[in-house]
Amino acid sequence: MGLIDIAFILLSAVAVISGWRVFVTDSMVRASFLLLLSFVAVALIILLMAAPYIGVATIFMMAVEMMVMALFMVMFMMNPAGLNPMMMVHQNRFAIGAGVVAFAGLSLAALATDFVDNRVDPAKRVVHDLGIELLGPSMLTFETAGVTLLATMVGAVVLSARSGRFGASDEGSLPPGLEPGGEPAGRKPEESGGHHHHHHMHG
Amino acid sequence: MTLSSVLIVAAALIGIGLYGALSQQSFVMLMMGLELMLNGALLAVIGFWSFALGGAPEGQLLAIIIMAVMAVDMAVGFALVTAVYRKRQADTTESLGTLKN
Amino acid sequence: MTQMLAILILLLFLTAGIAAAAMLDRAIPALVAGRPMKSSLSAPFAVAAAMAIAPKSDTEHPDRVGWVLAPILYFTLAAVGLSVVPLSPRLVAAPSEVGIVLWGACEALTVVAVFLHGWSANAPLPLMGAYRYVAIGLPAMLLSMFVLIGAALPAQSLGLVEIVESQRDVWNVVRQPAGLVLFLMLGLSVSLRGPFDYADPYDLAGGTQAEVSGAARLSWRLARLAMLVSVSAMTATVFLGGYLGPVLPGFVWLALKSALVLVALVAAGNWFARMPPARMMSFLWLALLPLSFLMLAAVGVELLLWG
Repeated sequence: MGLIDIAFILLSAVAVISGWRVFVTDSMVRASFLLLLSFVAVALIILLMAAPYIGVATIFMMAVEMMVMALFMVMFMMNPAGLNPMMMVHQNRFAIGAGVVAFAGLSLAALATDFVDNRVDPAKRVVHDLGIELLGPSMLTFETAGVTLLATMVGAVVLSARSGRFGASDEGSLPPGLEPGGEPAGRKPEESGGHHHHHHMHG
Repeated sequence: MTLSSVLIVAAALIGIGLYGALSQQSFVMLMMGLELMLNGALLAVIGFWSFALGGAPEGQLLAIIIMAVMAVDMAVGFALVTAVYRKRQADTTESLGTLKN
Repeated sequence: MTQMLAILILLLFLTAGIAAAAMLDRAIPALVAGRPMKSSLSAPFAVAAAMAIAPKSDTEHPDRVGWVLAPILYFTLAAVGLSVVPLSPRLVAAPSEVGIVLWGACEALTVVAVFLHGWSANAPLPLMGAYRYVAIGLPAMLLSMFVLIGAALPAQSLGLVEIVESQRDVWNVVRQPAGLVLFLMLGLSVSLRGPFDYADPYDLAGGTQAEVSGAARLSWRLARLAMLVSVSAMTATVFLGGYLGPVLPGFVWLALKSALVLVALVAAGNWFARMPPARMMSFLWLALLPLSFLMLAAVGVELLLWG
């Protein structure tokens, strides 16, 4: 067993165990950092498989993504630092079954299939090839991905921006009650707020 | 490190991710499950690229597409969660029967 | 063999850089105020020694792993970022054909490390510092990537040796002066300094380090200085021609240029005032990010026409 194999086994263990811990840890922020750890371990395995750009770019992207995720966790969670214990699951048994079946099926397929053995040549300039591919033969695919990302950005801003061209995006909507059928939660609209202003405009 | 062993690790990640996506109540945790599945898919793609494709550049392109999918998934997911939270003060799947309104 | 030599030189470089940065942090304000600068040579060591033996305090239910890990992670990122800096065409501690992407990953993980440091204390002021820093640090880090791509374009490579070699005729600072200014801002942001210090500022009683004391505080401060040294070396490499220079050996030139950047960063950190976080965020997204796009487009056009 070579050094690469030992590294692969260790990194795989880190990736799988931290991926599993994501869903059993108490804190949501810990969960997102554990997911980041899983991603970093996978990225390092990718580096071992001689794909430097993809590996490092995965670390870069996931660090940003998981940071944003942790931020949202803290924002939406009821406890300020996201450090209090919590467990929020439904259909747990069914989900475990589905996960195990997926794992077993995919691994069986992986073990049963006879793969072609055509390893990447260590002397191959893989980063250079990727660059040529992205802006050469696969330009259309790459640009489509770029346009999709742009559309996503616009869509995300439209969905989440509070103030739109025609006033606040949540204008007229009421939050649900604190108890079923009760008074709407949240801030009460002020009597002398925007409406008052409106009357002035007309009068 | 062989292709089979890499694929088994990828399968484990996909299995755990599927469990998370099906079992979690919180939207954000649910998205973590999806991300973990994509993580496994990324590993499998690079595994094939490295061991069976002889380093054909299209394999790396597919990996980049998966990363773009992850980014889209996150951005749209968070935007939806923010919009839903603002309208209904809800951040779990149970408190939401429909995306209407 | 050359790799070991490079690692050794970089370790020396990092240690000397941290000491110099700590001294400059005291000397430059003294110089501006017209006070004697003599004490700034020894004071940092005295303060560090006092910090190292100071008793340590604790908060209620902190995230212990994260709290211990954050300074280590921050320091490691500084060291890894520094390791791709070439000392000569063949003298590189960690030769990588994707050097600047690796540096970008270190920048991104820095935001994580700083957030981890503030969050894991489980106390209000550190959490506020961490939260603010994510909002400011992420866009600052994003725009640095466009700056770096602009520097990689003339080299037609993501590797740092190629980027330095592409500056044989003219340094990148002449080609892309705006890039240097933007990258120096990033330097202030990743080392939590002056106008970009939203994580550890005075108005939050030290922000993420408000509840940290003793050796843990010392290690956090050292990690911040290490990141400052690392970002100085990276700036010198990407914009000031790195190891290029006549007569003297390459690493001496690199050290001289890095020292220049270090002085500039410490001075800028002490000189410029800090904006309120909300204004800084608008400034980053609405002014600096479009500026970095324009700069990148200009580099592309320039290379198309005259490259």
